[in-house]
Amino acid sequence: MFKKVELQEGVTLYIRKSDQFKTVNFSVKWKTALDEKKSAQRAVLSNVLQDSNGRYRTQTAFRNKLDELYGTVLYADVAKRGETHIFSLYAECVNEEYLSEGGVLDDVLGLIQTTIFDPNLVNGQFDEAIVNREKRSVIERIRSLYDDKTRYAQKRMLELIRPNHPASASSYGTEADVEALTSADLFAAYTQMLAEDAIDIYIVGDIDDNDMINKIKSTFTFNARKPQAASHAFVTQPIANQQHVREQQDMKQGKLHLGFSTPVTFQHPDYAKMQMTNGVFGAFAHSKLFMNVREKESMAYYASSSYASHYGLLYVNAGIDAELEDKAVNLIKEQLVALQQGDITALELEQTKALLANGIKSAFDSARGQIEVFDQYKEQDEHFTAEKLIAGWQAVTKEDVQQMASEITLEIVYLLSGKEAV
Amino acid sequence: MKKIHFEKLQETLYNEKLSNGLDVYILPKRGFSKTFVTFTTKYGSVDRTFIPRGKDEAVTVPDGIAHFLEHKMFEKEDGDVFQKFSVKGASANAFTSFTRTAYLFSATDMLYDNTEILLDFVQEPYFTQKTVDKEKGIIAQEITMYDDEPDWRLYFGTIENLYHEHPVKIDIAGTVESIQDITAEHLYECYETFYHPSNMVLFVVGAVDPEEMMAFIKKNQDAKTFDEPADIVRIFPTEGDTAANTERTLAMDISKPKFNMGMKCNKTDVEGEEMLIQELSSGLVLDLLFGRTSDFYTAAYNEGLIDESFSYDFTLENGFGFAMVGSDTEHPEQLEAAIRQTMRTAVDNWPITNIELDRMRKKKIGQFMRSLNSPEFIANQFTRYAFNNMNLFDVVPTLEKLTVQHLQEAFQTFADDNGHTIYSVVPADKAQ
Repeated sequence: MFKKVELQEGVTLYIRKSDQFKTVNFSVKWKTALDEKKSAQRAVLSNVLQDSNGRYRTQTAFRNKLDELYGTVLYADVAKRGETHIFSLYAECVNEEYLSEGGVLDDVLGLIQTTIFDPNLVNGQFDEAIVNREKRSVIERIRSLYDDKTRYAQKRMLELIRPNHPASASSYGTEADVEALTSADLFAAYTQMLAEDAIDIYIVGDIDDNDMINKIKSTFTFNARKPQAASHAFVTQPIANQQHVREQQDMKQGKLHLGFSTPVTFQHPDYAKMQMTNGVFGAFAHSKLFMNVREKESMAYYASSSYASHYGLLYVNAGIDAELEDKAVNLIKEQLVALQQGDITALELEQTKALLANGIKSAFDSARGQIEVFDQYKEQDEHFTAEKLIAGWQAVTKEDVQQMASEITLEIVYLLSGKEAV
Repeated sequence: MKKIHFEKLQETLYNEKLSNGLDVYILPKRGFSKTFVTFTTKYGSVDRTFIPRGKDEAVTVPDGIAHFLEHKMFEKEDGDVFQKFSVKGASANAFTSFTRTAYLFSATDMLYDNTEILLDFVQEPYFTQKTVDKEKGIIAQEITMYDDEPDWRLYFGTIENLYHEHPVKIDIAGTVESIQDITAEHLYECYETFYHPSNMVLFVVGAVDPEEMMAFIKKNQDAKTFDEPADIVRIFPTEGDTAANTERTLAMDISKPKFNMGMKCNKTDVEGEEMLIQELSSGLVLDLLFGRTSDFYTAAYNEGLIDESFSYDFTLENGFGFAMVGSDTEHPEQLEAAIRQTMRTAVDNWPITNIELDRMRKKKIGQFMRSLNSPEFIANQFTRYAFNNMNLFDVVPTLEKLTVQHLQEAFQTFADDNGHTIYSVVPADKAQ
């Protein structure tokens, strides 16, 4: 689906000409092995680079320019996937054929180039005031997780089963690591990222692709690099026994989070089977969890499972009355036992296959979806298509799901609830 | 069937009002594999006092009933509607707002089967006291979930502060107590009054053949019998221009105080072009006074009065409207002073000229073009606009003709101090 052009060793351009959208989308991704200190540096760096640059030295000047370019979106963000940390720079501008003026696309390309190669430096360093301000912003973003009880409960659950591990690490690093950063650290991190990371550049839109390839080649002057295979910098110890942890805050609902492990990961040959198993178990509104915990017992508004394939983990989340914790946990366990015993109907398999197919095909109906899905699945197969994935799910049998369910092991029951409830 | 081509947008919209009163819109999208379909009634949480169809006297129904009805539409004698959609590969959902209830699906296959499921389940109510009572546990957990979300509490607390009487101040889902009073009879009464096809819009966008789809929908509708369309009488209390409360605070288990300023709009008896101009103008004013390029934003962000949670928003429906500006902040008093100062300065010494307007106009045109990539945006917004006699595809031509005068007039509708309120959510350990 994307035309692939190797710009340099370790620097690849993926480009797709399409008239489906009214905008042109850009995404530049820097990838490195996940490491908490690096995460902290890059989280702050993403804020600093999108704030201003050598041509537009204040946020106001830069944002005014983007507004003039018909509300061009340009921002940077960080994320993690498996054991990889990803720094992404995104831009999106309206295709000129819908505008009353030309030159927008070239201007935007120039701004992306400026953002990457010509940051806002004072005496060869990032401006101390900007760095300090953005450190504060990232710290507050990390702290605000506490206020979102569902996300907080999920984070606590992961810390308990996978302490000091990529699965529980924040892509923003720790508060302490952000706090300790200096302007010089940040500049070193920036230089290293530009010189050493694996870089994937994505462009989707109604563009002249050869012309665009030439422009990128001549202006995005990255050096060749030999990216290291992702190998995380964490020293992890296995957590032995099944845990049951209750924590309390001043709140009303009980946030029930169960963590399960499975040997089947994203790269595993049985990956499609495990996706199907998660689907029958709890990913959809026809799934066992929704039908039994919500519809049959009226115990929850949400009760669902999700499969974190990169970490070999499967989560079940439900919002319940905390006094009914045991009943809910038993009900959830019963649904898994049902799968393990082969209590799986042809209808459940058919529904799950249909919705997985709908999900992947729908994802391609946005430019960002095309980029993100491709960026992930190309690690399995550069020539993957939605049809190939769908064929993989179609081949899954009841026995496969039963087999996969038997490889799912409960590691933790975690409940975050109000102080008076338990 | 009407065919309306928008040359600049390269979009073609198909429309027909069927004999039963249902307004059907179809917008094919080049290159898309999915089709997104919404079936929406002009009935939301604010419609709590009305004259039921076939009756003479007004009734007031329990709070949260429109949302409760939305939940109950999915359960039928032969089971759960989600099951049917799943077999056909459709991802289905629904939502209830202040003024609308929408049922929707997104599918990349079996479009007609799914459209039929949608039309039929929304047009065949099935409520029993047993199924109604069963739902109370589920919705109670939904309400409890929102009770623990500080940003939702902040938003609703601000609206409660702004309004004396208008039912927009009542949470869309009601309360755990109010939903206990809901009966199957209530649901039928609301359904009969508000779910007549003449009070509804069907919007189909994405991979669709407009002629075939229109013929399919007509055939489905022609096979059903409906009562004659009747005007719906909704009754709203009178509501003044002042805020009901000037300031309130809620303590929750959070790490950083949340601050929100609400500004009540005093011109809400509007629709059509007038409403579109007012709504777009108000949005532009907020962008210019509080957006990322504003003096306010620059100073407040540099001084640490606001953080990445900072946001502002303008809401306008017939009968109510408000602007909001808020952020997580350790300095609520200073932030309040800065927002009030920005408003006062704009009253005393209007700061917006053609230069700022032109820049922001370009930004808004670009934003609108970008949002046309989203079938979900098109269907949901088009329907909202249609219920207010506006046309979504008039946004760009209207933006192009806006003047500084329009912005100043729109600003005046929420500039009065007496309509302003403060709501805060503060960490429980720092409270009192």
